[in-house]
Amino acid sequence: MEKQCGLRNGPEPAEFRQRLKIVVILTLLALSILLIRLWYLQVIKWDELKQRSENNAVRFRKIQPLRGLIMDRNGTVVVDNRPSFDVLYMPTKGVNHELLLQRIKDLYKTKTLEFSSDQLFPKTIKPYLPVRLEKNVDMEKVALVETNALDLPGVYVEVTPVRLYLDGETIASIIGYTGEVSKEDLAKSEEDYLSGDITGKYGIEKVLDPYIRGRRGNELVEVNAFGKVIKDLGRIDPVSGSNVVLTIDARLQKAAWEALAGLAGSAIAMDPRDGSILAMVSAPSFDPNLFNSGLARDEWDKLQKNPLNPLSNRAISGQYPPGSTYKLIVAAAALEEGIITPDTKIFCNGSFELGNRSYRCWKKHGHGSVNLHRALVESCDVYFYTVGKMLGVDVIARYARLFGFGETTGIELAHERKGLVPTRDWKRARMKEPWQLGETVSVSIGQGFNLTTPLQLVQAYSALANGGTRWRPRLVQRIELSGGSIQKEYLPEKKGELKLSPQTLAVLHRALWGVVNEPGGTGAAARRPDADVCGKTGTSQVIGLPQNEKARRLKKIAAFHKDHALFVCYAPMKSPEIAIVVVAENAGGGGAVAAPIARKILNAYFEGKKQGKTTQVAVTFPPAGSTGD
Amino acid sequence: MIFLKYDRRILQNFDWTLFALVMCICAIGIINIYSTGFSLSDDQAPLYIKQLQWIMFGLFLMVIIFLIDYHAINQAAYIIYAISIASLVFVALFGHTANGAQRWISFGFILFQPSELMKVTIIIALARYFDDHKSNEPYLLRELFVPFLMVMVPCVLILKQPDLGTALMIIIVSASIVLFIGMNWKSILIVVASVLAMLPIAWLFLKDYQKDRLLTFLSPESDPLGAGYHIIQSMIAIGSGGFLGKGFLKGSQTQLKFLPEQQTDFVFSVFAEEWGFLGGLVLMLMFLSLIIWGLKIALHSKDLLGTILAFGITALIAWQVLINMGMVLGMMPVVGIPLPFLSYGGSAIVTLLGAIGLLMNVSVRRFILQR
Repeated sequence: MEKQCGLRNGPEPAEFRQRLKIVVILTLLALSILLIRLWYLQVIKWDELKQRSENNAVRFRKIQPLRGLIMDRNGTVVVDNRPSFDVLYMPTKGVNHELLLQRIKDLYKTKTLEFSSDQLFPKTIKPYLPVRLEKNVDMEKVALVETNALDLPGVYVEVTPVRLYLDGETIASIIGYTGEVSKEDLAKSEEDYLSGDITGKYGIEKVLDPYIRGRRGNELVEVNAFGKVIKDLGRIDPVSGSNVVLTIDARLQKAAWEALAGLAGSAIAMDPRDGSILAMVSAPSFDPNLFNSGLARDEWDKLQKNPLNPLSNRAISGQYPPGSTYKLIVAAAALEEGIITPDTKIFCNGSFELGNRSYRCWKKHGHGSVNLHRALVESCDVYFYTVGKMLGVDVIARYARLFGFGETTGIELAHERKGLVPTRDWKRARMKEPWQLGETVSVSIGQGFNLTTPLQLVQAYSALANGGTRWRPRLVQRIELSGGSIQKEYLPEKKGELKLSPQTLAVLHRALWGVVNEPGGTGAAARRPDADVCGKTGTSQVIGLPQNEKARRLKKIAAFHKDHALFVCYAPMKSPEIAIVVVAENAGGGGAVAAPIARKILNAYFEGKKQGKTTQVAVTFPPAGSTGD
Repeated sequence: MIFLKYDRRILQNFDWTLFALVMCICAIGIINIYSTGFSLSDDQAPLYIKQLQWIMFGLFLMVIIFLIDYHAINQAAYIIYAISIASLVFVALFGHTANGAQRWISFGFILFQPSELMKVTIIIALARYFDDHKSNEPYLLRELFVPFLMVMVPCVLILKQPDLGTALMIIIVSASIVLFIGMNWKSILIVVASVLAMLPIAWLFLKDYQKDRLLTFLSPESDPLGAGYHIIQSMIAIGSGGFLGKGFLKGSQTQLKFLPEQQTDFVFSVFAEEWGFLGGLVLMLMFLSLIIWGLKIALHSKDLLGTILAFGITALIAWQVLINMGMVLGMMPVVGIPLPFLSYGGSAIVTLLGAIGLLMNVSVRRFILQR
């Protein structure tokens, strides 16, 4: 206590009484002012404000932002935006909704137009909450509705941006599509979604949606009783989404799509020097433009029920036995483990005996005595049965993993599958059965339990082509703000090293060249005049019992018994700058069907390069460390 | 010592008037929140149920605080103050963020807002300080340096969240207490002058949206989209209610969600739209009765401590009512101050009911204490 005098007990109650009186008076005064204000608003201004409330004069409207563009590596726009015209109806008191709808239909009939929407009025119409009557109507209907606005109270046309997929189905499996945000997404609180927002549903559109989406704007408008805007009261402009620059070369993409020519399957072109995907097609595909205005039920059903499943991206989620393309891995393992030398010869008489079972070579009467080089060139099965049996399945699996099999590659897309590299432990855990030696024999030629995705195959061969580095396949080069400045850059990413000796690499490299360019090579169909392609064919048998009803139904169709055709290659031999995988489902032999497709893609690539050199190759390719030529 | 000792007189002299008033206002609050949530989707837990649960919890707290003699609470005043400051620091470091503000501590299933607690804590702390430093003379500026620090520390922490409204409320309530117990006229003039001089500097520290709000208050129609939207919609809702109101659950501005923040800061617009001028008048009279009753408790308290506590709590309620209504009626800038007992918000209602417990505490013990 600083104060010395003990008598000081604070102010006297009388003083408090005085001050409290003032407080009460001030409070009364303040409350009276508030009460007068309340009176002013509720009694004096009542008429005017009641009018405004009934007209619901002021209304918030969100303005959808433009989604970012998606471009290929050369700056060619692949996905753009276009305006879409929707017919909306603002329900108002005293208007017969059904009658109004009939009036619109009648109006359309005068111009022989159909009212397209099957989505009629929702069961409960809330006044002042607009109903979207028709989406994406053509200009004829827009003109009709606008000119007859007086007869159609509450009906108006709204312009919203929708996606324009310029390359349609050729690139749909990568780009994906957009649609209205789902209830599940709305429930996620961390995402700033409102009902009716457009969001990416699949592919790049979905994965990069936070960048592409942009930011919503708002607009405050004064509307009359019929929902027609009378006055703009203010707006916050939307912010356009960021643009995405892909590693894809749109021209090559189209060439790859055309090369596949109606077959079910996929083709991928990748730059082995840094993992950039130049083209990635999956067929059959779908037209993403159909999803813009909400897919009609029957169209959706058609896509869903199509046994060939156009909505899946086979390049990353299709899993196939790799067939003879897998011999590369077995050969690498055998050389590295010292089981064979390049000169070791094995005699092939057309079949390989194990116990009481005989495993056939694809060539009925055998290849005779072959070394590793010839065994790869002619794809001799017996050679690899023998070597594979000596290696054992677990050693093969170890090398397969070095090449990137059995794990996802880490590409920017969702739904990537990781394939299957069988081992003894895997089988024991999965099937509660011990491993059989005969299964090792099947695995040696890429059959049996083996499963790989096309992307894994092209990644593995790319690693061989560039001297042993496994790059993460990448689809996205960078993200740019709509102004053009770089927002985020995606750099090449090392996933692993093959750790093979230079001798082994050289032997395999030469053998793959031989497959395409030597007499008797199975990949001759991919040969180009300058003899610079290295590759490997594969034909994977469609075996095993169907697992489900869908597959059982398919079994009835003979076509589904045919083999899958595979071909993996890279070029030019001296300094590879493109690697390609082609998988054609139920199409026949790899050499006969897949290799020619790969050649077409290669031709398109080198042709484009020749043309591009004079224009802008130096600008568009970022300095990638190792330049091709 | 009479702490916690049962005394027959506590029940005999229980302040039923205060209790009844508060319960009536809370009931109006529940009915009103029921109306705002009326058109919400079904899968959401209705807000009025949640508010009811909070009120139950608040009543529990109220009873406990009521039973502990406020002199015992006074003994712990600085501990309570320290805990409140600590929780504000915790919020600043690890707080839960929503709508761009970091204001909450998350206990998993509930969010607790320490700044609400601080509104009451500062009253308890100041009461302790001035009770310890009694003076017959009006306080001089230099004698008020410590209380000044006690107020500014939480204010800075709360401004950082950012929560301008709560910080202002703490300053206003504290200033009211100081003025009430007496401050030297010259000192008052110096403070007023320096605050006016500081205003331009304070302006620089405001966030953009806070500046917007203050500016749009001056002319709401200039920015009808941003801050002005709240005020315009609120005035339309209130005005369209008319003298008798549109009726329970019939407020079109409310039911169509044109009215933003309708469960929290703008809850009075909902009430005025549906119950009209008459309803507004009744509610204002109830608040007035509560305020006058609180002041009466302050007057009749047998010691300075009780007087300051009762006055501080009453001032807190009065200022919130006046500022919130002024804001909702378009007479003051939108600063985010809830309407006591009516606005939805767990931390706010629980601390308020706790404060009412303290007020009853002072009220009942005037019959027990000897001056």
